[in-house]
Amino acid sequence: MKSAPFEYRRPASLAEALQILDQHGDDARPLAGGQSLIPLLAMRLAQPAMIVDLGRLPELRGIRRDGSEIAIGAMTTQAQLQRLPLPGILAAALPHVGHFQIRSRGTVGGSLAHMDPAAEWPALAVLLDAELELAATSGRRLLRAADFALGPMTSAIEPNELLVSIRLSGAEGPFGFLEVERRPGDFALVGAACHRGRLVAFATGAIAQRLTRCEALLREDGSPGDLRALAEAEIEATGDVHASAGYRRRVGAALVQRAVEAAA
Amino acid sequence: MRLELTINGIPWQGEVEPRLTLADLLRDRLRLTGTHLGCEHGVCGACTVLLDGEAARSCLTLAVQAEGAAVITVEGLPSSLIPENAFQCGFCRAGFVVSAAALLSDGRRRGRQELAEELAGNICRCTGYRPILEAVLRYQA
Ligand SMILES: Cc1cc2nc3c(=O)[nH]c(=O)nc-3n(C[C@H](O)[C@H](O)[C@H](O)COP(=O)(O)OP(=O)(O)OC[C@H]3O[C@@H](n4cnc5c(N)ncnc54)[C@H](O)[C@@H]3O)c2cc1C
Ligand code: FES
Ligand code: FES
Repeated sequence: MKSAPFEYRRPASLAEALQILDQHGDDARPLAGGQSLIPLLAMRLAQPAMIVDLGRLPELRGIRRDGSEIAIGAMTTQAQLQRLPLPGILAAALPHVGHFQIRSRGTVGGSLAHMDPAAEWPALAVLLDAELELAATSGRRLLRAADFALGPMTSAIEPNELLVSIRLSGAEGPFGFLEVERRPGDFALVGAACHRGRLVAFATGAIAQRLTRCEALLREDGSPGDLRALAEAEIEATGDVHASAGYRRRVGAALVQRAVEAAA
Repeated sequence: MRLELTINGIPWQGEVEPRLTLADLLRDRLRLTGTHLGCEHGVCGACTVLLDGEAARSCLTLAVQAEGAAVITVEGLPSSLIPENAFQCGFCRAGFVVSAAALLSDGRRRGRQELAEELAGNICRCTGYRPILEAVLRYQA
Protein backbone atom coordinates (compact mmCIF):
# COMPACT_ATOMS: atom_id res chain seq x y z
CA MET A 1 0.00 0.00 0.00
CA LYS A 2 2.14 2.83 -1.27
CA SER A 3 0.97 6.07 -2.82
CA ALA A 4 1.45 6.81 -6.51
CA PRO A 5 4.01 9.59 -7.14
CA PHE A 6 2.83 13.18 -6.90
CA GLU A 7 4.29 16.65 -6.99
CA TYR A 8 4.46 18.32 -3.56
CA ARG A 9 4.07 21.99 -2.72
CA ARG A 10 4.36 23.62 0.67
CA PRO A 11 3.09 27.20 0.32
CA ALA A 12 3.98 29.69 3.06
CA SER A 13 0.85 31.83 2.84
CA LEU A 14 -2.85 31.40 2.15
CA ALA A 15 -2.59 33.61 -0.95
CA GLU A 16 0.13 31.40 -2.39
CA ALA A 17 -1.85 28.23 -1.63
CA LEU A 18 -4.97 29.61 -3.32
CA GLN A 19 -2.94 30.61 -6.38
CA ILE A 20 -1.58 27.07 -6.71
CA LEU A 21 -5.12 25.66 -6.47
CA ASP A 22 -6.31 28.18 -9.07
CA GLN A 23 -3.60 27.10 -11.51
CA HIS A 24 -3.94 23.36 -11.02
CA GLY A 25 -7.67 22.96 -10.35
CA ASP A 26 -8.79 19.36 -10.04
CA ASP A 27 -5.23 17.99 -10.28
CA ALA A 28 -4.24 19.49 -6.93
CA ARG A 29 -5.43 18.24 -3.54
CA PRO A 30 -4.98 20.09 -0.23
CA LEU A 31 -3.27 18.10 2.53
CA ALA A 32 -4.13 18.97 6.15
CA GLY A 33 -3.32 16.40 8.87
CA GLY A 34 -3.32 13.61 6.31
CA GLN A 35 -5.14 11.23 8.65
CA SER A 36 -7.80 10.56 6.02
CA LEU A 37 -6.06 11.63 2.82
CA ILE A 38 -2.84 9.62 3.26
CA PRO A 39 -4.74 6.31 3.59
CA LEU A 40 -6.70 7.27 0.44
CA LEU A 41 -3.40 7.93 -1.36
CA ALA A 42 -1.90 4.67 -0.09
CA MET A 43 -4.90 2.67 -1.26
CA ARG A 44 -4.79 4.68 -4.51
CA LEU A 45 -8.42 5.67 -4.07
CA ALA A 46 -7.08 9.19 -4.62
CA GLN A 47 -4.31 9.85 -7.15
CA PRO A 48 -3.85 13.61 -7.34
CA ALA A 49 -1.03 14.90 -9.54
CA MET A 50 -0.17 17.47 -6.87
CA ILE A 51 -0.41 17.67 -3.09
CA VAL A 52 -0.64 21.14 -1.55
CA ASP A 53 0.48 20.90 2.08
CA LEU A 54 -1.43 23.41 4.24
CA GLY A 55 0.83 22.72 7.22
CA ARG A 56 2.71 26.02 7.10
CA LEU A 57 -0.13 28.49 6.59
CA PRO A 58 -0.27 30.78 9.63
CA GLU A 59 -3.66 32.17 8.52
CA LEU A 60 -5.33 28.80 9.08
CA ARG A 61 -4.17 28.18 12.65
CA GLY A 62 -5.44 29.02 16.09
CA ILE A 63 -8.70 30.26 17.50
CA ARG A 64 -10.18 33.72 17.90
CA ARG A 65 -12.86 34.62 20.43
CA ASP A 66 -15.24 37.53 20.41
CA GLY A 67 -17.80 37.34 23.22
CA SER A 68 -19.64 34.06 22.75
CA GLU A 69 -18.31 33.74 19.18
CA ILE A 70 -15.40 31.44 18.42
CA ALA A 71 -13.61 31.16 15.07
CA ILE A 72 -11.46 28.03 14.81
CA GLY A 73 -8.77 28.01 12.11
CA ALA A 74 -9.09 25.05 9.74
CA MET A 75 -5.54 23.79 10.42
CA THR A 76 -5.98 23.73 14.19
CA THR A 77 -5.45 20.14 15.31
CA GLN A 78 -7.95 18.39 17.56
CA ALA A 79 -5.15 18.07 20.14
CA GLN A 80 -4.36 21.82 20.09
CA LEU A 81 -8.05 22.55 20.57
CA GLN A 82 -8.31 20.09 23.48
CA ARG A 83 -5.63 22.06 25.36
CA LEU A 84 -7.80 25.22 25.36
CA PRO A 85 -10.79 26.13 27.54
CA LEU A 86 -13.81 25.25 25.40
CA PRO A 87 -17.61 25.18 25.53
CA GLY A 88 -18.71 21.93 27.20
CA ILE A 89 -20.08 20.30 24.09
CA LEU A 90 -16.77 20.66 22.21
CA ALA A 91 -14.78 19.38 25.18
CA ALA A 92 -17.10 16.36 25.35
CA ALA A 93 -17.00 15.60 21.62
CA LEU A 94 -13.26 15.99 20.92
CA PRO A 95 -12.05 12.86 22.75
CA HIS A 96 -14.20 10.86 20.31
CA VAL A 97 -12.48 12.28 17.21
CA GLY A 98 -10.07 9.38 16.73
CA HIS A 99 -7.36 8.21 19.13
CA PHE A 100 -4.98 10.73 20.69
CA GLN A 101 -2.27 9.75 18.18
CA ILE A 102 -4.71 10.73 15.40
CA ARG A 103 -5.85 13.95 17.12
CA SER A 104 -2.24 15.16 17.29
CA ARG A 105 -2.26 15.51 13.48
CA GLY A 106 -5.92 15.52 12.40
CA THR A 107 -7.39 18.98 11.93
CA VAL A 108 -10.79 20.54 12.43
CA GLY A 109 -10.86 21.71 8.79
CA GLY A 110 -9.79 18.30 7.50
CA SER A 111 -12.62 16.64 9.40
CA LEU A 112 -15.17 19.09 8.04
CA ALA A 113 -13.86 18.91 4.47
CA HIS A 114 -13.70 15.10 4.54
CA MET A 115 -17.38 14.91 5.67
CA ASP A 116 -17.41 11.34 6.91
CA PRO A 117 -21.02 10.47 7.90
CA ALA A 118 -19.69 9.10 11.23
CA ALA A 119 -17.44 12.08 12.02
CA GLU A 120 -18.17 14.34 14.98
CA TRP A 121 -17.30 17.74 13.45
CA PRO A 122 -19.85 17.74 10.63
CA ALA A 123 -22.50 16.77 13.21
CA LEU A 124 -21.38 19.53 15.61
CA ALA A 125 -21.44 22.06 12.77
CA VAL A 126 -25.08 21.27 11.94
CA LEU A 127 -26.11 21.05 15.61
CA LEU A 128 -24.52 24.40 16.52
CA ASP A 129 -25.62 26.06 13.27
CA ALA A 130 -21.99 26.91 12.51
CA GLU A 131 -20.75 29.04 9.63
CA LEU A 132 -17.93 27.86 7.41
CA GLU A 133 -15.57 30.41 5.91
CA LEU A 134 -14.20 29.51 2.46
CA ALA A 135 -11.52 31.37 0.51
CA ALA A 136 -10.57 31.46 -3.17
CA THR A 137 -8.36 33.89 -5.11
CA SER A 138 -11.58 35.67 -6.11
CA GLY A 139 -12.65 36.27 -2.49
CA ARG A 140 -14.30 34.74 0.53
CA ARG A 141 -17.75 33.35 1.26
CA LEU A 142 -19.56 32.16 4.36
CA LEU A 143 -21.78 29.09 4.28
CA ARG A 144 -24.20 27.74 6.85
CA ALA A 145 -23.39 24.20 7.97
CA ALA A 146 -26.62 22.93 6.41
CA ASP A 147 -25.49 24.27 3.01
CA PHE A 148 -21.89 23.13 3.46
CA ALA A 149 -22.70 19.44 3.96
CA LEU A 150 -23.79 18.10 0.58
CA GLY A 151 -23.58 14.35 1.14
CA PRO A 152 -21.35 11.53 2.33
CA MET A 153 -17.69 12.52 1.81
CA THR A 154 -18.91 15.61 -0.06
CA SER A 155 -18.74 19.21 1.10
CA ALA A 156 -19.49 22.41 -0.80
CA ILE A 157 -15.76 23.29 -1.06
CA GLU A 158 -14.85 23.93 -4.72
CA PRO A 159 -11.51 22.59 -6.06
CA ASN A 160 -10.07 26.12 -6.12
CA GLU A 161 -11.23 26.90 -2.56
CA LEU A 162 -9.90 26.27 0.94
CA LEU A 163 -11.80 26.05 4.17
CA VAL A 164 -10.36 28.81 6.36
CA SER A 165 -12.32 28.58 9.59
CA ILE A 166 -15.43 27.37 11.34
CA ARG A 167 -17.37 29.99 13.30
CA LEU A 168 -19.54 29.10 16.25
CA SER A 169 -21.71 31.33 18.34
CA GLY A 170 -23.58 30.43 21.50
CA ALA A 171 -21.97 26.99 21.75
CA GLU A 172 -21.94 27.18 25.56
CA GLY A 173 -24.70 25.83 27.75
CA PRO A 174 -26.13 22.45 28.66
CA PHE A 175 -25.84 19.73 26.05
CA GLY A 176 -26.04 16.01 25.46
CA PHE A 177 -23.44 14.27 23.31
CA LEU A 178 -23.46 10.49 23.10
CA GLU A 179 -22.09 7.86 20.80
CA VAL A 180 -21.55 4.13 20.61
CA GLU A 181 -18.08 3.15 19.40
CA ARG A 182 -16.21 -0.17 19.44
CA ARG A 183 -13.05 1.18 21.05
CA PRO A 184 -12.77 4.72 22.47
CA GLY A 185 -11.68 6.87 19.51
CA ASP A 186 -13.02 4.60 16.77
CA PHE A 187 -15.56 6.00 14.35
CA ALA A 188 -19.02 5.99 15.93
CA LEU A 189 -21.46 3.21 15.08
CA VAL A 190 -24.30 5.55 16.09
CA GLY A 191 -24.34 9.01 17.66
CA ALA A 192 -26.75 11.71 18.84
CA ALA A 193 -26.40 15.20 20.25
CA CYS A 194 -28.68 17.86 21.69
CA HIS A 195 -28.04 21.56 22.34
CA ARG A 196 -30.49 24.44 22.89
CA GLY A 197 -33.46 22.44 21.64
CA ARG A 198 -31.69 21.27 18.49
CA LEU A 199 -31.14 17.58 17.83
CA VAL A 200 -28.77 15.79 15.47
CA ALA A 201 -28.20 12.09 14.76
CA PHE A 202 -24.92 11.05 13.13
CA ALA A 203 -23.20 7.87 11.99
CA THR A 204 -26.72 6.74 11.20
CA GLY A 205 -27.07 7.49 7.49
CA ALA A 206 -25.48 9.37 4.60
CA ILE A 207 -24.97 12.58 6.53
CA ALA A 208 -25.47 14.09 9.99
CA GLN A 209 -29.25 14.51 10.23
CA ARG A 210 -31.09 17.25 12.04
CA LEU A 211 -34.19 15.76 13.68
CA THR A 212 -36.68 18.58 13.17
CA ARG A 213 -39.79 16.55 14.02
CA CYS A 214 -38.24 15.50 17.33
CA GLU A 215 -37.30 19.13 17.98
CA ALA A 216 -40.94 20.14 17.45
CA LEU A 217 -42.04 17.48 19.94
CA LEU A 218 -39.54 18.87 22.47
CA ARG A 219 -41.05 22.33 22.11
CA GLU A 220 -44.49 20.82 22.82
CA ASP A 221 -43.10 19.05 25.90
CA GLY A 222 -43.78 15.57 24.50
CA SER A 223 -43.22 12.53 26.74
CA PRO A 224 -39.85 10.69 26.67
CA GLY A 225 -41.59 7.60 25.28
CA ASP A 226 -43.13 9.58 22.40
CA LEU A 227 -39.76 11.19 21.68
CA ARG A 228 -38.04 7.85 21.43
CA ALA A 229 -40.69 6.42 19.11
CA LEU A 230 -40.60 9.52 16.93
CA ALA A 231 -36.79 9.48 16.78
CA GLU A 232 -36.86 5.85 15.68
CA ALA A 233 -39.20 6.82 12.85
CA GLU A 234 -37.38 10.02 11.91
CA ILE A 235 -33.76 8.75 11.80
CA GLU A 236 -32.87 7.86 8.21
CA ALA A 237 -30.56 4.93 8.84
CA THR A 238 -28.48 2.81 6.51
CA GLY A 239 -26.90 -0.53 7.35
CA ASP A 240 -23.36 -1.69 6.62
CA VAL A 241 -20.88 -4.30 7.90
CA HIS A 242 -20.59 -2.44 11.21
CA ALA A 243 -24.27 -2.17 12.13
CA SER A 244 -27.67 -2.75 10.56
CA ALA A 245 -30.11 0.06 9.77
CA GLY A 246 -32.48 -1.29 12.43
CA TYR A 247 -29.74 -1.22 15.08
CA ARG A 248 -28.86 2.35 14.16
CA ARG A 249 -32.49 3.47 14.37
CA ARG A 250 -33.17 1.78 17.71
CA VAL A 251 -29.89 2.66 19.40
CA GLY A 252 -29.95 6.11 17.78
CA ALA A 253 -33.41 6.76 19.25
CA ALA A 254 -32.21 5.70 22.72
CA LEU A 255 -29.22 8.04 22.40
CA VAL A 256 -31.51 10.88 21.30
CA GLN A 257 -33.60 10.40 24.43
CA ARG A 258 -30.50 10.36 26.66
CA ALA A 259 -29.00 13.38 24.90
CA VAL A 260 -32.22 15.33 25.54
CA GLU A 261 -32.17 14.31 29.22
CA ALA A 262 -28.51 15.33 29.55
CA ALA A 263 -29.22 18.73 27.96
CA ALA A 264 -32.22 19.46 30.16
CA MET B 1 12.98 16.75 -2.51
CA ARG B 2 15.42 17.95 0.16
CA LEU B 3 14.50 17.00 3.74
CA GLU B 4 16.08 17.96 7.06
CA LEU B 5 14.96 16.73 10.46
CA THR B 6 16.36 15.24 13.65
CA ILE B 7 15.79 11.63 14.60
CA ASN B 8 16.45 10.58 18.19
CA GLY B 9 18.45 13.77 18.59
CA ILE B 10 20.67 13.19 15.55
CA PRO B 11 20.31 15.55 12.58
CA TRP B 12 19.52 13.87 9.25
CA GLN B 13 19.30 15.31 5.79
CA GLY B 14 18.74 13.75 2.42
CA GLU B 15 16.75 13.59 -0.77
CA VAL B 16 13.32 11.92 -0.53
CA GLU B 17 10.35 11.37 -2.81
CA PRO B 18 7.31 13.34 -1.58
CA ARG B 19 5.26 10.14 -1.41
CA LEU B 20 7.67 8.48 1.05
CA THR B 21 6.03 8.07 4.45
CA LEU B 22 7.90 8.85 7.65
CA ALA B 23 7.57 5.14 8.53
CA ASP B 24 9.33 4.07 5.34
CA LEU B 25 12.03 6.70 5.81
CA LEU B 26 12.73 5.36 9.30
CA ARG B 27 12.62 1.68 8.39
CA ASP B 28 14.01 1.48 4.86
CA ARG B 29 16.41 4.39 4.66
CA LEU B 30 17.62 4.66 8.26
CA ARG B 31 17.18 1.00 9.19
CA LEU B 32 15.41 2.02 12.41
CA THR B 33 13.24 -1.08 12.22
CA GLY B 34 11.90 -0.87 15.78
CA THR B 35 9.00 1.12 14.34
CA HIS B 36 6.66 -1.47 12.85
CA LEU B 37 4.08 -1.30 10.09
CA GLY B 38 0.90 -3.27 10.64
CA CYS B 39 -2.09 -1.78 8.85
CA GLU B 40 -0.60 1.28 7.13
CA HIS B 41 -3.83 3.19 7.56
CA GLY B 42 -3.76 4.48 11.10
CA VAL B 43 -5.73 1.78 12.87
CA CYS B 44 -3.22 -0.52 14.62
CA GLY B 45 -0.78 1.96 16.20
CA ALA B 46 2.35 -0.16 15.62
CA CYS B 47 4.07 2.68 13.72
CA THR B 48 3.54 5.39 16.39
CA VAL B 49 6.46 7.82 16.88
CA LEU B 50 6.88 11.14 18.69
CA LEU B 51 6.74 14.09 16.33
CA ASP B 52 7.80 17.28 18.13
CA GLY B 53 6.78 15.57 21.36
CA GLU B 54 3.34 14.41 20.25
CA ALA B 55 2.48 10.80 19.43
CA ALA B 56 1.68 10.43 15.72
CA ARG B 57 1.23 7.67 13.18
CA SER B 58 4.37 7.49 11.03
CA CYS B 59 2.37 5.59 8.37
CA LEU B 60 0.03 8.59 8.05
CA THR B 61 2.75 11.23 7.91
CA LEU B 62 4.69 12.04 4.78
CA ALA B 63 8.39 12.36 5.49
CA VAL B 64 8.32 15.82 3.87
CA GLN B 65 5.63 16.93 6.35
CA ALA B 66 8.19 16.35 9.11
CA GLU B 67 10.58 18.96 7.65
CA GLY B 68 12.40 20.59 10.58
CA ALA B 69 10.72 18.34 13.15
CA ALA B 70 12.22 16.35 16.02
CA VAL B 71 11.30 12.69 15.67
CA ILE B 72 11.72 10.19 18.51
CA THR B 73 11.31 6.50 17.79
CA VAL B 74 11.17 3.52 20.13
CA GLU B 75 14.96 3.27 19.76
CA GLY B 76 15.23 6.68 21.44
CA LEU B 77 13.11 5.80 24.50
CA PRO B 78 14.02 3.93 27.70
CA SER B 79 13.07 0.26 27.35
CA SER B 80 12.21 0.19 31.07
CA LEU B 81 8.95 1.97 30.19
CA ILE B 82 7.30 -1.31 29.19
CA PRO B 83 9.67 -4.26 29.59
CA GLU B 84 9.81 -6.91 26.88
CA ASN B 85 8.15 -9.53 29.04
CA ALA B 86 4.87 -7.61 28.98
CA PHE B 87 4.56 -8.76 25.36
CA GLN B 88 4.45 -12.04 23.49
CA CYS B 89 5.44 -11.67 19.82
CA GLY B 90 6.38 -8.01 20.39
CA PHE B 91 5.03 -6.70 17.10
CA CYS B 92 2.91 -4.04 18.82
CA ARG B 93 5.59 -3.06 21.34
CA ALA B 94 7.01 0.06 19.71
CA GLY B 95 3.55 1.58 19.39
CA PHE B 96 2.72 0.96 23.04
CA VAL B 97 6.06 2.24 24.33
CA VAL B 98 5.88 5.45 22.28
CA SER B 99 2.18 6.02 23.08
CA ALA B 100 2.74 5.44 26.80
CA ALA B 101 5.74 7.79 26.75
CA ALA B 102 3.55 10.49 25.17
CA LEU B 103 0.74 9.98 27.70
CA LEU B 104 3.00 9.93 30.75
CA SER B 105 4.96 13.01 29.64
CA ASP B 106 2.31 15.26 31.22
CA GLY B 107 3.28 13.85 34.63
CA ARG B 108 -0.31 13.00 35.53
CA ARG B 109 -0.96 9.58 37.08
CA ARG B 110 -3.72 7.60 35.47
CA GLY B 111 -5.94 4.81 36.69
CA ARG B 112 -6.36 1.48 34.92
CA GLN B 113 -9.61 2.37 33.16
CA GLU B 114 -8.34 5.70 31.86
CA LEU B 115 -5.11 4.13 30.61
CA ALA B 116 -7.02 1.34 28.90
CA GLU B 117 -9.20 3.90 27.12
CA GLU B 118 -6.29 6.08 26.08
CA LEU B 119 -4.26 3.14 24.82
CA ALA B 120 -7.25 1.87 22.81
CA GLY B 121 -5.60 3.22 19.65
CA ASN B 122 -3.00 0.44 19.80
CA ILE B 123 -3.87 -3.11 18.83
CA CYS B 124 -2.20 -6.16 20.37
CA ARG B 125 -3.14 -9.52 18.90
CA CYS B 126 -1.41 -11.63 21.54
CA THR B 127 -1.61 -10.51 25.13
CA GLY B 128 -5.17 -9.46 25.81
CA TYR B 129 -3.62 -6.12 26.96
CA ARG B 130 -3.45 -6.96 30.67
CA PRO B 131 0.32 -7.38 31.05
CA ILE B 132 0.88 -4.21 29.00
CA LEU B 133 -1.46 -2.15 31.20
CA GLU B 134 0.09 -3.66 34.34
CA ALA B 135 3.55 -2.66 33.13
CA VAL B 136 2.52 0.95 32.49
CA LEU B 137 0.76 1.12 35.87
CA ARG B 138 3.91 -0.24 37.54
CA TYR B 139 6.10 2.27 35.73
CA GLN B 140 3.87 5.12 36.92
CA ALA B 141 4.04 3.94 40.54
C1 LIG C 1 -7.77 5.16 13.03
C2 LIG C 1 -8.54 6.41 12.76
C3 LIG C 1 -9.68 6.68 13.49
C4 LIG C 1 -10.42 7.82 13.25
N1 LIG C 1 -11.54 8.05 14.00
C5 LIG C 1 -12.26 9.17 13.77
C6 LIG C 1 -13.44 9.45 14.53
O1 LIG C 1 -13.85 8.67 15.39
N2 LIG C 1 -14.12 10.59 14.25
C7 LIG C 1 -13.70 11.47 13.28
O2 LIG C 1 -14.35 12.48 13.08
N3 LIG C 1 -12.61 11.23 12.56
C8 LIG C 1 -11.88 10.11 12.78
N4 LIG C 1 -10.77 9.87 12.02
C9 LIG C 1 -10.48 10.79 10.92
C10 LIG C 1 -9.59 11.91 11.39
O3 LIG C 1 -10.26 12.73 12.32
C11 LIG C 1 -9.12 12.69 10.17
O4 LIG C 1 -8.00 13.31 10.57
C12 LIG C 1 -10.04 13.74 9.62
O5 LIG C 1 -11.24 13.22 9.17
C13 LIG C 1 -9.38 14.47 8.45
O6 LIG C 1 -8.60 15.47 8.95
P1 LIG C 1 -7.11 15.70 8.45
O7 LIG C 1 -6.66 16.98 9.02
O8 LIG C 1 -6.31 14.51 8.74
O9 LIG C 1 -7.35 15.91 6.87
P2 LIG C 1 -6.66 15.26 5.60
O10 LIG C 1 -6.68 13.79 5.69
O11 LIG C 1 -5.38 15.92 5.32
O12 LIG C 1 -7.72 15.74 4.50
C14 LIG C 1 -9.01 15.19 4.41
C15 LIG C 1 -9.74 15.80 3.20
O13 LIG C 1 -10.06 17.16 3.41
C16 LIG C 1 -9.45 18.01 2.44
N5 LIG C 1 -9.04 19.21 3.19
C17 LIG C 1 -8.37 19.21 4.36
N6 LIG C 1 -8.24 20.47 4.82
C18 LIG C 1 -8.84 21.28 3.93
C19 LIG C 1 -9.06 22.71 3.85
N7 LIG C 1 -8.63 23.54 4.83
N8 LIG C 1 -9.73 23.20 2.79
C20 LIG C 1 -10.18 22.35 1.80
N9 LIG C 1 -10.02 21.01 1.83
C21 LIG C 1 -9.36 20.48 2.87
C22 LIG C 1 -8.34 17.19 1.85
O14 LIG C 1 -8.05 17.58 0.52
C23 LIG C 1 -8.92 15.79 1.92
O15 LIG C 1 -9.80 15.58 0.86
C24 LIG C 1 -10.01 8.73 12.23
C25 LIG C 1 -8.87 8.48 11.49
C26 LIG C 1 -8.13 7.33 11.73
C27 LIG C 1 -6.90 7.07 10.91
S1 FES D 1 0.87 0.86 10.61
FE1 FES D 1 0.45 2.88 11.17
S2 FES D 1 -1.26 2.63 12.45
FE2 FES D 1 -1.01 0.61 11.68
S1 FES E 1 2.53 -8.98 21.63
FE1 FES E 1 1.97 -9.75 19.70
S2 FES E 1 0.76 -8.13 18.93
FE2 FES E 1 1.14 -7.49 20.92
